[in-house]
Amino acid sequence: MATNTETGEIEDFGQVSRTVGTVFRYLLLAATMFGIVMLAILLLYVANDAIRPLTADLGWHLTFFVGLVLPTLLVGWTVYRRDRAALSFGALLVGTLVVSLMFSGGVALLAIDVIPPLVAFAYAVGLVVPTAATVGLTRYAHRISFTTRLIATTMVFYLALFGLPGPIGDPVGAPSLVPSLVEFVLTRPVIPVDRVMVATVIGGISAAAVGSYVAGVRDWTIGLYAAIAAFLASTAAGYVGPFVGLNPVPAVVVTAVAFVPTVAYAWRGAFTEGGSPLGLAFAATVVGGALVGAVAVDALGFAGPQSWVDWQFLTSSHSGTAENAGLYPAIGGSILLMSTVAALSFPLGVGAAVYLEEYAPDNALTRFVDVNISNLAGVPSVVYGLLGLGVFVTYLGRSAGTVLVGGATLALLILPIVIISSREAIRSVPTDLRQASYGMGATRWQTVKNVVLPESFPGILTGTILALGRAIGETAPLIMIGAPNVVFDLPATLGSKVSAMPLQVYAWSSLFASEDFYTKAVPAGVVVLLAVLLAMNSIAIVLRNKFERAG
Amino acid sequence: MTRDLERNRSFSRRELLSAVGGLGLAGLAGCTQENPNLGSTAEPPSDGPGSGGGSGTLSGDISIAGSSTVFPIASAMSERFEESYPDIDVSIQSTGSGGGFANYFCTGQTDFNNASRPIQPEEEEQCAGNDVEWIELKVATDALTVIVSTDNEFIDEGLTVEQLREIWSADADVETWADVEDSWPDEPIELYGPSDASGTYDYFIEAVIGEEGSHRQDYSPTEQDRTILQGVAGSEYALGYLGFAYYSQNSDSVRAVPIKDGDGDYVEPSLETALEGEYTPLSRPLFTYPKVSALQEGHIEAFARFWLDNSTSQEIIAEEVGYVPLSEAEREQMLGRIYAAAEGLN
Repeated sequence: MATNTETGEIEDFGQVSRTVGTVFRYLLLAATMFGIVMLAILLLYVANDAIRPLTADLGWHLTFFVGLVLPTLLVGWTVYRRDRAALSFGALLVGTLVVSLMFSGGVALLAIDVIPPLVAFAYAVGLVVPTAATVGLTRYAHRISFTTRLIATTMVFYLALFGLPGPIGDPVGAPSLVPSLVEFVLTRPVIPVDRVMVATVIGGISAAAVGSYVAGVRDWTIGLYAAIAAFLASTAAGYVGPFVGLNPVPAVVVTAVAFVPTVAYAWRGAFTEGGSPLGLAFAATVVGGALVGAVAVDALGFAGPQSWVDWQFLTSSHSGTAENAGLYPAIGGSILLMSTVAALSFPLGVGAAVYLEEYAPDNALTRFVDVNISNLAGVPSVVYGLLGLGVFVTYLGRSAGTVLVGGATLALLILPIVIISSREAIRSVPTDLRQASYGMGATRWQTVKNVVLPESFPGILTGTILALGRAIGETAPLIMIGAPNVVFDLPATLGSKVSAMPLQVYAWSSLFASEDFYTKAVPAGVVVLLAVLLAMNSIAIVLRNKFERAG
Repeated sequence: MTRDLERNRSFSRRELLSAVGGLGLAGLAGCTQENPNLGSTAEPPSDGPGSGGGSGTLSGDISIAGSSTVFPIASAMSERFEESYPDIDVSIQSTGSGGGFANYFCTGQTDFNNASRPIQPEEEEQCAGNDVEWIELKVATDALTVIVSTDNEFIDEGLTVEQLREIWSADADVETWADVEDSWPDEPIELYGPSDASGTYDYFIEAVIGEEGSHRQDYSPTEQDRTILQGVAGSEYALGYLGFAYYSQNSDSVRAVPIKDGDGDYVEPSLETALEGEYTPLSRPLFTYPKVSALQEGHIEAFARFWLDNSTSQEIIAEEVGYVPLSEAEREQMLGRIYAAAEGLN
């Protein structure tokens, strides 16, 4: 392919060098790696300061190497050669166990220190009974009109939660005629013991989730059995726990939130069709190795690393001496803030996304809203802090630095991100599915409810969790709304002052003279914050992978 | 349809109901307790039996804002107070003395405002405008410390107050160390100090620069004492000032400059020299300002008393935090103020 010049002479190719291309390629590689490597170095540095692995005895390292690392590598390699899917299943299983254990810690924190079991139990009863009534009404009374059913449903819920006349009567001072179901349960002279109430609420939710998961894999009968088994396991844990040194309530929570789902996942991965039981062997090696290592180290008397992130750090509150300082109120504060943020931003964000994608006409107003949402996603967090301060504290007169104000401000901060990612998820539902639904005579509402939302749900959830991951690390808005640097208890109500992990870390880094705060407590706090963040993100990643495989 | 048939085949609904009901009853029979909330209807539901013990009957929130210098004292006191009264929630926020008065205390949002200098007339006005009454409690004495890097060898004797004024005043045109003292190197002075939200800044103006002068603004201001420390430690020609606690816990990375007031000797800052009154003019009282209406609530009065009771403690104030504790006489005077305010005697 030589070229003809204008004079008609034929020129040869000249020299084509590969060097530029190669250089360019490696420059791109360097650009890719730069950020990742820097971040990894920073994280290693921080983790080294926080966990201090080098302070452990050599024997400790050796024991864990022989007991955990070596068998894991051997079994992992064997499994990998036999069946690659089995290895990834095994690794995921271990990950599920670790992450769900962390989450059970968070739930246990709520169950023990924030929401009294009786209150949770009463509200669970107050919600389940009317829900059951509503389902019954929908299923068995086809004849009644939609309006009647709506009114009946509202009435049932109102009666169960508020009683008669309830909040409507309060302004005029009407006496309470009929106590609500919640009130009724709260005032029983004899109530179940705490472990049973916690098992009923949390074990019940866990059993329902596991039941429907199993039912999705097999059928409803097996699902029902699984749910009953899960529920019984959670309840039993409350009675078995004390024998293995766990308090009853945490035992119930850990079983319901961590063990039961992990077992369900293990069953699904190992014993259903196309399952890979070999993965189980890998997971067992890792978990068993860790346990054996822990027992052996204890028996042989090797000292572990003098990690700053230890049980004491996780469960005590701030102290003036760095050795006794802990992150507990900040962890709890972050969990409560994130719950508030999720409760506020999820319905608002998903609602807005569904409207914009499914209902909004394509006109100037919609485009204007579109552009603004994209811009709002990039607005600096400190500006949202100012907005929160102005709207909630100054204008609405709420007191500064509370869970509600902090949660609402952070919810505003991530709302645009939730909307954008939910819209992406909704947009990725194939148009064919919608058309098919319309073709079968479904209305738009039915299509959204039965086709679009279920299809896009994992994507929506992924986006929301990633957005929450941004919110959990935010410091500036919390400082702006006047959240305290240090609190000593978990907030008891939505109106209590709250601190959060990044705020506590910031306080340690700046307000205390002792060097230990700066060089040890701060890295330890950062490591805990990152661990929580990574656990949240890992859920998002698993969901996304599953979603992509399905879609 | 086939699924329904299968379901009905495996067990009937009646069997299921009776099984679950029986299990539930059997379970509940041995697993009940008396409702702890009904025994004491006056108490909020969160107060279970035995949660408080004898001393834990007080409950409520206490919110504290203000000076970052006083923050460590407040946090040390709250930590100990929480041990005896777990039902009281204390929250502490570091906003700087002035920031705390203007944005939180005088708008009525906080119960205490910590300050590293006395309340100023305009803040008094703001508080009065919002009907916030307060009392002044001295909680410790600080020795404001002027620091240089340990590499700095030319300042050996110390600095006089006049030299400090020359360096930090907005009017003076001191750029290099040689401008201060001819024998010192001709290198620019790097200045680090607290920002103007800080009481330390206000006190420094009052004590060194004088009311009529003003603090120079071409320095690196920060609310974080650690930034001052790091800035000064990093340069031979840097100079900064901060509270004594920060210096005393980091005395290996920076050096405190002895200060000469008028015709006196050069005095090094220390707990002793501050207590003896030798370290002038930079030793200063630290305060907290409780709201009178808050003191009339039992749990807040208890906290104020607890704080002042322990304000003579060598262990907490001097060793843990790094300030000079109150004398017995001062403590009695402060406790008297709390009593008067709590009883509504003023």
